[in-house]
Amino acid sequence: MQHPPLASQHSLDVLARRARLVGSSLVGPALLLVVAINILPAIYGFYLSLHEVFFFGNEGFAGLKNYTELLRDSFAWQAIGRSLLFTFASLAIAVPLALLAAMGVRRLGRWGSVLLTVLLVPWAMSPIVVALLWKWILVPSPGGLVGAIFTAFGMPPQDLLTDPVLAMPTLIIVAVWRNFAFATIILIGGLGQIPRDLYKAASVDGLDAWESFCKITLPLLAPSLLIVISMLTISYFNEVQLIIGLTGGGPIRQTSTLAYSLYHTGFVELNQGKGNAIAVIMFLINMGLIAVYIRILGKQAGAAA
Amino acid sequence: MKSKTFDRRTVLRACAAGLAFAGLPRLASSQALSGTVRIWTFLGADGQSPREVVLREIIERFTRNHPDVDVVVEAQPFQELEVKFVAASAQNRAPDVIWMRDTFLGLVQQRGALANLDDLLSAEFKTNVLPDLYPVFAEKSVFDGKRSSLPLWPSPAQAIFYRKDALAELGLEAPPLTWDEFIPVAGRLTKGDRLGFGLPTNDNSVSAFINILSGFGPSIFDATTGQFDVAGAEAKEVGNVVRQLVANGALSSTLLNAMGDDIQDQFASGRFAIVQAFAPRFQQYKQIAAAYDGNDLAVSAWPGFGDRPPAVLLGPYWTVGVSAKSANPALATAFVESLYSREASMSWAKTAGLVPDRMSALKDPYFGTPEAADIHNFTELLSAPGVMTFPQRMPDITKVFPVMNTALQELIGTDESVDAILDRAKSTLGW
Repeated sequence: MQHPPLASQHSLDVLARRARLVGSSLVGPALLLVVAINILPAIYGFYLSLHEVFFFGNEGFAGLKNYTELLRDSFAWQAIGRSLLFTFASLAIAVPLALLAAMGVRRLGRWGSVLLTVLLVPWAMSPIVVALLWKWILVPSPGGLVGAIFTAFGMPPQDLLTDPVLAMPTLIIVAVWRNFAFATIILIGGLGQIPRDLYKAASVDGLDAWESFCKITLPLLAPSLLIVISMLTISYFNEVQLIIGLTGGGPIRQTSTLAYSLYHTGFVELNQGKGNAIAVIMFLINMGLIAVYIRILGKQAGAAA
Repeated sequence: MKSKTFDRRTVLRACAAGLAFAGLPRLASSQALSGTVRIWTFLGADGQSPREVVLREIIERFTRNHPDVDVVVEAQPFQELEVKFVAASAQNRAPDVIWMRDTFLGLVQQRGALANLDDLLSAEFKTNVLPDLYPVFAEKSVFDGKRSSLPLWPSPAQAIFYRKDALAELGLEAPPLTWDEFIPVAGRLTKGDRLGFGLPTNDNSVSAFINILSGFGPSIFDATTGQFDVAGAEAKEVGNVVRQLVANGALSSTLLNAMGDDIQDQFASGRFAIVQAFAPRFQQYKQIAAAYDGNDLAVSAWPGFGDRPPAVLLGPYWTVGVSAKSANPALATAFVESLYSREASMSWAKTAGLVPDRMSALKDPYFGTPEAADIHNFTELLSAPGVMTFPQRMPDITKVFPVMNTALQELIGTDESVDAILDRAKSTLGW
């Protein structure tokens, strides 16, 4: 075996080094930006979570006090429970709805695109605007759309946002309404990648529509579904603007999720040390959920390949 | 005795020096009154609400008198004003003038973010205007002998608004002023879709619980700690009042986390006969009345307990200060002073229906006209025997209202014992 001359090897190394240098210098500014706006604030947030910080005044090192207080606080555990309830109940409605919408949009052709555009409007709107809009729709007095519907059926207006039993389901419905269209778009893309020949073959083999859906559509759509589930999980788990605008965490803490607790502790009670501790806990839970999804997604993607 | 003669040159020099000395303050004043004043308030510069219209008028008047001055209003959400101001002050980018709630004044002052107005207010203002402000408000801004701010829009803050037409159905002109009598009346006012009484129970800066508690008088606040007894006998009595209001249908057990704005909107659409409302919004309430005639709107004090006088808790109310880091504190102070001119007081009253900041303005013939009758009602509340303010430094001010509102929601919406609810609130506050 003949080895290349050393001089040529050196030239290749120089070229490779230059290429790396160019690559690094191109990525560098973006990396700096990520460090400046994501990593440094996150580190500073963790630093603050170890301090007593009230009304923007650092009152000294507190060690793990903020964390231990949270872990001992039954309201914090209830907030975690509500976050998970809100997240998974919203997912349970949004994902099937998005899948149905995606299939419907594909079937409708050009009109489907129009429908999709309409469905996307809430997603494009600011969450706080959506909250205000729904507040007016749900207002339980003359002038409220939903109140008028109840009245038309001879029923009294319902306090959908202020009743301890009804507030969380109402919030979930509004959250789903706001962003299931985003999931629909991703699923439309996934559906478009499934070869039509497979459905023709299934038809020849005598599979009905439901069997085709279960044996072709769902397995091949799994990677897209898992992307949708991952993104919606993060979105719902961290949802706070809708809660602030619609229920303010009430009634009787029934919609006070962990994300809302973070807002309330940090920005209403102005206990920024404890607020940052909640943020760190939320970050860890988010990371945990993402890790689970990446694990499942990796397996599914491998299976699909 | 040695006589001294003055030559012509000396006399001329003395005259020139005298003239120069006399001109100094004017010169200094004109030099100070140029530049830009940045104001943080919840009012928008282009808004159409009555108070926004008046603020615009005041700014126009001020800039007309001082052509080299530019006034910039940077509107902020009202509940974020104090926090943002303290943060901005720490970063040396605070506005020159800041609107704050009196309940936060102690915290903002503690952070050293406010200028000492004693050093800045003009002698004319100190002599003529300060003594003309309502003392109960004006004195609360003085910390350790230093004036940190000036109160704006004297009013009872959270008052009772009611519909005269609804009360007339029961043959009454106004709600009763003791809880024993108020409770059955509020219950009887519930009719069809209309509720007798509406309370905002989810605001972060007011709590109806404390307003009801104020029916026991100023002694509810401990003079030393600024706390009230969250689980004491008086608080339990408040709990019982709330439970009775729910039991007789005056309060809805499912209307639990409405905010002030929600109550305002629903009152306009006819859902309530009586509500807790922010008093400076009286004109706004009148304007948006949809289900009743706006002229049927009236204001009342909160009922008292037993033979105590009706309660008027003055706060949270607005107060205006100058940033300790203002680059032009003289200009900022001049603008603040303009908010309290006689013309400004009349504008706040005539356009926004507010009690004038200057007591002497009430002598104006306008206040004898029927148009000013509402203002008279508010003025009477201010001089009522049950008048009180929040303590100057109330501990846990950022927590106390949300905690007491959650307790109130539990009192309204659950069957849990009053004692257990109040004990939990006390434990949450750590009092």
